[in-house]
Amino acid sequence: MAPRGFLRLSEKSWFMLALIAPALLTLVLFQVIPIVVGANTSFRDWSLHDPKRTWVGLGNYAYVLGDSEFLRIVLPNTFGFMFATVLCSLVLGLLIALMLNKEFAGRRLIQSIILLPLMVAPVIAAIMIRWMFNDQFGIVNAILDVFGVAPIAWLTQRWTAFLVILLTDVWLWTPWFALILLAGLQSLPPEPFEAAQIDAASPWRTFRYITLPMLRPVIVVCVVIRSIDAFRTFDIVWTISGGGPARATEVFSIYAYVESFQFLNLGRGSAAAVIGAIIIVIFAMVLYRILNRFVEVSR
Amino acid sequence: MSAVAPAQAGSHGFFAMLAPGGRRALFILAAIAVCLLFAFPIFWLVLTSLRPGSGVYYVHRGTEFTIENFHEVLSQPVVLKALWNSFAISTLATIMSLGVTVTSGYMLSRFKGPIPNTWFSLIYVFRCVPYVSWVLPLYFVTLKLGIFDTYWGLLLPHVAVHICFFSWIMKGFFDGIDPSMEYAAMIDGCSRWGAFVRVALPSAIPGLTALAILCWLYTWNEFLFALILTSHETPILTVVMAQFVHELGMEWHLMSATAVLALGPALIVTLFGQKYVIRGLKV
Repeated sequence: MAPRGFLRLSEKSWFMLALIAPALLTLVLFQVIPIVVGANTSFRDWSLHDPKRTWVGLGNYAYVLGDSEFLRIVLPNTFGFMFATVLCSLVLGLLIALMLNKEFAGRRLIQSIILLPLMVAPVIAAIMIRWMFNDQFGIVNAILDVFGVAPIAWLTQRWTAFLVILLTDVWLWTPWFALILLAGLQSLPPEPFEAAQIDAASPWRTFRYITLPMLRPVIVVCVVIRSIDAFRTFDIVWTISGGGPARATEVFSIYAYVESFQFLNLGRGSAAAVIGAIIIVIFAMVLYRILNRFVEVSR
Repeated sequence: MSAVAPAQAGSHGFFAMLAPGGRRALFILAAIAVCLLFAFPIFWLVLTSLRPGSGVYYVHRGTEFTIENFHEVLSQPVVLKALWNSFAISTLATIMSLGVTVTSGYMLSRFKGPIPNTWFSLIYVFRCVPYVSWVLPLYFVTLKLGIFDTYWGLLLPHVAVHICFFSWIMKGFFDGIDPSMEYAAMIDGCSRWGAFVRVALPSAIPGLTALAILCWLYTWNEFLFALILTSHETPILTVVMAQFVHELGMEWHLMSATAVLALGPALIVTLFGQKYVIRGLKV
């Protein structure tokens, strides 16, 4: 324990502070100060073409929270997207991890192939998928045509556009889940599996009662990290649909960006950004509690 | 562990009914499906980039191929400049981020008490703050500091983005290294700093390499910060690419060529560092 009083810190405490000083300085300058500036902006009437900067109190917050666009479309989209993408990529990733955990010819090749999405920029992935789902010339409609399905205008309807965005995100992140879960699987002790084999437990029961519980801490960490990141998704939505058709696929990041830089109302955009930040920080803290409990129980 | 044969789907009854040969066939089918699913979009992108402008709309039919698209894209000065800028910023950001977070992660791993605890909660909270919430005002901060649309104006925010997550991962690396060597070094008269630089740091090199590769890829692929914090002076590849979508009325062949150019370096980095990338992902 460091003694009280700033200058009477022990040599050890000074060393600790010195170690984090560069990181702390950068963090304060380029993250803490911008957040404070943003919070300040959110209380003002600040449009980019006419920055009056007059104090309007909670006016911007009232506007955003009263905006049916934000409540009925943006929030459900954001949470729905977060839930769906994490669930789909977790399940797919787990299946692939279980598959790669066996020894077979071509295992290395598959592992290299699923590394591909990890190095593709989300923007490129979005462009790629958008091209494949192009209503006139895309390969997806061409394949569907072979089966006699009429061309679908994927990006002009809310749910199909949403599906395309979801698919892109799942494509991008399933490999990440797969590789981390694979690492988790490989570090499990072999004894319980040997015991299960001696007892002639079926593969499903082995998975359900041995693999899954032992893998739980890894799964929980993945889900927490990924949920927080999925909440702030911007690039793929922006590139695939731009929030359209008619703002129907806007997620929270897009809403804040559009309010600020397209409707040029920085005050409202900032208020939306602050609201989103508060939601996700509370969410993350709850998740962190759950995470800690899980990890303790499993030890 | 091949004998354990973890279930693929939930239906063990179904699996039990299949003959061993059928089970094998199903497994091979699943493996092929996985390969196709993850490789096909990239294959399609490369194919599109090789089609002439006239044939791009029916990629799955024609047989003409050309590298004219790459010529055309590379003759645009903005693309060349963006390639160089992206490369320079990714490399510099990697060096700076690692330099800043390695000490921070070491501190989190080796010490206990109120200072590390506070720092850790701070990092956790700031890691969760959505990017939009600080990149919008960051625009004003960089304007005020006079570094908007310069290397520094993008570089330093990128370092700030990485601080929280990387400190966390670095802590994990150092947690995996036995500290007793450092204590021994300190008993032998090494300072704390000396114990860190001469003993702990060399053992952390594999972890650092992994993180360096990931950091380079993240920065190379990043979009939102580049979109808001740069303009005409410092074009960044991802932003230039996204502008193709909105402004040029979808010249898919040129856009695919640019995307393939952006993919190239990332591909090289990943393939050569595959071992490290997989290691670095183990949170």
